[in-house]
Amino acid sequence: MSMEDYDFLFKIVLIGNAGVGKTCLVRRFTQGLFPPGQGATIGVDFMIKTVEIKGEKVKLQIWDTAGQERFRSITQSYYRSANALILTYDITCEESFRCLPEWLREIEQYASNKVITVLVGNKIDLAEKREVSKQRAEEFSEAQNMYYLETSAKESDNVEKLFLDLACRLISEARQNTLVNNVASPLPGEGKSISYLTCCNFN
Amino acid sequence: MAAAGSGLRLLAGEGGGGAASSLSMERIRSLTDLPELEAAYSRLCGEEKGVEEELEALLEQQSTIESKMVTLHRLGPNLQLIEGDARQLSGMITFTCNLAENVSSKVRQLDLAKNRLYQAIQRADDILDLKFCMDGVQTALRNEDYEQAAAHIHRYLSLDKSVIELSRQGQEGSIIDANLKLLQEAEQRLKIIVTEKFDVATKQGDLPQVERFFKIFPLLGLHEEGLSKFSEYLCKQVANKAKENLLLVMETDMSDRRAAVIFADTLTLLFEGIARIVETHQPIVETYYGPGKLYTLIKHLQVECDRQVEKVVDKFIKQRDYHRQFQHVQNSMVRSSATEKIEPRELDPILTEVTLMNARSELYLRFIKRRIVSDFEVGDSMASEEVKQAHHKSLDKLLNNCLLSRTMQELIGYYITMEEYFMRETVNKAVAMDMCEKGQLTSSMVDDVFYIVKKCIGRALSSSSIDCLCAMINHSTTELESDFREVLCTKLKLGFPATTFQDIQRGVTSAVNIMHSSLQQGKFDTKGIESTDEAKQSFLVTLNNVEVCSENIMTLKKTLESDCAKLLSQGFGGEQAEAKIDSCLADMAAVSNKFRDLLQEGLSELNSTAVKPQVKPWINLFLSVSHNIEEEEFNDYEANDPWVQQFIINLEQQMAEFKAGLSPVIYDSLSSLTTSLIAIELEKVVLKSTFSRLGGLQFDKELRSLIAYLTTVTTWTIRDKFARLSQMATILNLERVTEILDYWGPNSGPLTWRLTPAEVRQVLALRIDFRSEDIKRLRL
Repeated sequence: MSMEDYDFLFKIVLIGNAGVGKTCLVRRFTQGLFPPGQGATIGVDFMIKTVEIKGEKVKLQIWDTAGQERFRSITQSYYRSANALILTYDITCEESFRCLPEWLREIEQYASNKVITVLVGNKIDLAEKREVSKQRAEEFSEAQNMYYLETSAKESDNVEKLFLDLACRLISEARQNTLVNNVASPLPGEGKSISYLTCCNFN
Repeated sequence: MAAAGSGLRLLAGEGGGGAASSLSMERIRSLTDLPELEAAYSRLCGEEKGVEEELEALLEQQSTIESKMVTLHRLGPNLQLIEGDARQLSGMITFTCNLAENVSSKVRQLDLAKNRLYQAIQRADDILDLKFCMDGVQTALRNEDYEQAAAHIHRYLSLDKSVIELSRQGQEGSIIDANLKLLQEAEQRLKIIVTEKFDVATKQGDLPQVERFFKIFPLLGLHEEGLSKFSEYLCKQVANKAKENLLLVMETDMSDRRAAVIFADTLTLLFEGIARIVETHQPIVETYYGPGKLYTLIKHLQVECDRQVEKVVDKFIKQRDYHRQFQHVQNSMVRSSATEKIEPRELDPILTEVTLMNARSELYLRFIKRRIVSDFEVGDSMASEEVKQAHHKSLDKLLNNCLLSRTMQELIGYYITMEEYFMRETVNKAVAMDMCEKGQLTSSMVDDVFYIVKKCIGRALSSSSIDCLCAMINHSTTELESDFREVLCTKLKLGFPATTFQDIQRGVTSAVNIMHSSLQQGKFDTKGIESTDEAKQSFLVTLNNVEVCSENIMTLKKTLESDCAKLLSQGFGGEQAEAKIDSCLADMAAVSNKFRDLLQEGLSELNSTAVKPQVKPWINLFLSVSHNIEEEEFNDYEANDPWVQQFIINLEQQMAEFKAGLSPVIYDSLSSLTTSLIAIELEKVVLKSTFSRLGGLQFDKELRSLIAYLTTVTTWTIRDKFARLSQMATILNLERVTEILDYWGPNSGPLTWRLTPAEVRQVLALRIDFRSEDIKRLRL
């Protein structure tokens, strides 16, 4: 698009129940902070972090959405342009895990079909209060064909890994897409190739 | 000899090695050989001479040294004098120093005494004050002069506690004790009286009295209580006013001018009322309670505000059927059944009202925030960073967690879903009702769709909520990018009917056509296209539509940018508001490019399915015109043009159709594509023909006519596209094979050859009069 200083730009949207630690994950990753007593997010928050992966400058645009129900219609509007979704739940809160199917329905309904979804179980620092076993979560994510990771925003466990792994996957996905697009159809973007467009054999 | 030797050694020692005798006595004694002795002797003689010279020089200095000695002797007595003076001076200094130290210690003592004296006076004053307060309070209370009494109490409260202790210890201790007791009793009594009087004044709604006692509270150290009691009074006023307003709402006639936004108006009245209260009473609070107290007052007021907002919003939800409408919309979105679908137009007024309600709330919250922030700033100017942070946090908490904010967030949440539905349904309608007036390049739906999108985003913007605005920008992007682009895409997929079959098709479809046009009555239906002419026009109109869409999106983005800048400059939205909007708008702008891509695809399609099948046969006719000609035929061609004139006429006719139906920009792109096509196709047929010398000349003439014509009809430079053909004409016009060398390589001058050497040979071979050996022999 513009001549800005990056090779890739990806939009990552964090979703999940209220209070599972979405904002803390984002703050930990972008600012290295764990703000205690973090208030509920209003609407959506917006953070940018540029990382370097194998010599490529990757700009991550991270949208941290409010988990509360009344912001749902705002957050839904961000799904479609997202390259990746981080679906977060709290391992010490059975309820937040039980809501996952509902979130998946939302993703199904609003997100692009090429979106990468990562399931994140946060707050592993509170191991003694764990309500959702790792095995259960893994089985669930496997059934849904999702990548699964357990994190602690507080202890900074796996947070960096979460975002950097995701960025890696997004890069390889993007590379594949441009490849496919270049071969099959001159139309960039949506991959809704228009079959009648098989002309231009003379330029 | 020995004496001389030792003298020499002595001198040598003093001279630092310069004149040391090189021979020791032992060495001289051991000498037995005559020549050696002689040599030693002469050396010693030389040395002696040197020593004598040195002695002489030293002796010469003797007089100067002596005269210096005399001067030094003369200085002696003076030095003694100076020494005496110095000793005297030192004595004096020591004395002065002692004296000064003595004085300064006395001054210190004096200073201490003075301070103590001051303190004593202060205490005496305080004790006097205390007495004065004791007497004063009694009198003031008796005279019902509560301000005076409170002032005395305030004085008493601000007195040093040790003073009171001190006065107790005095001789009149017991009296003071009694007085003190009286004073404390007076304090308690005054507190009770003020509270009572305040309550009475509140009940009677006697504002001057209320304010009077409100001012007394802080004097008695009852800041919190004063503020909370005063707020209570103000809240009651707010509540009463709100109740009246709500009753008025219930009585409002539905035909009233403001009926459609009556709830927004009611909220506005509520907010304005509170704002006025804050405005009026802020100076009193500031003056009598000090800065930084406004937060407490507003926190109390906000509770009442929330209570009233709840009532208004409840009424709004009930009367406007807000939740049911939302449910209805949700059902309509999920189910595709058209039977139960809610009419988008019905939503229009309620959507406008909700955004207005939110805008008013945002305005009010911003007002409160500004007031509290500036009050904190004054109050916290000396405070630590921690206190400031804590204040900031509590303010955020107040603003974010108040029921007003939450309620509005809820309403806006529903609004976004409904607005999205409104937009999508209305766009669908515009698409369904699409029509193209004759002579118009674009059809109605483009203008309509952008009008709708603009309206919806504009309405979201008018809510002053950045998140709401961004959400609607996102939804609009989705709507344009997927749904509406899909509509145009589908139309383009129908393709531009190939003209060769045009006549056949026209015959087949005419019956259907008649039936259909009777239904359509002059409008051409954009869904089922039966007639080829209509199909053609539809395709061209769609191309124009796509281009206009791309333009409109950029215009929309720019308009929104400046609108948002206005909103942000008024201080709405958080720190990231601008970044959020920018990002959402960037996504929208990207859609413009997708339309542009679609346009290019459509144009290529048009070129390959409509232009190429026609132009190709016309060009192929070139093959049927022999270019292997003699003088006679050449002249004949001169009189009756065999190919190029007809080709130009055909081309002109065909392009005229596109020129009329396409916007200038698209037509330009198309003619550029067509020109490229002509150049490529013509090249093919030329390579299939054979030429005589005059045939080459004929081709050159034909090419020049064609280029001259194309130059007049396109704005692009076409010379470049025809460069290869022009060079081929040049080659076909050569007298001899070797003449090519006049133009090739170092002789090419400004000409850049677009033909490869192999191609040059290929073209040369087209000339039947050129021998292939000559061509082969060429060194290119």
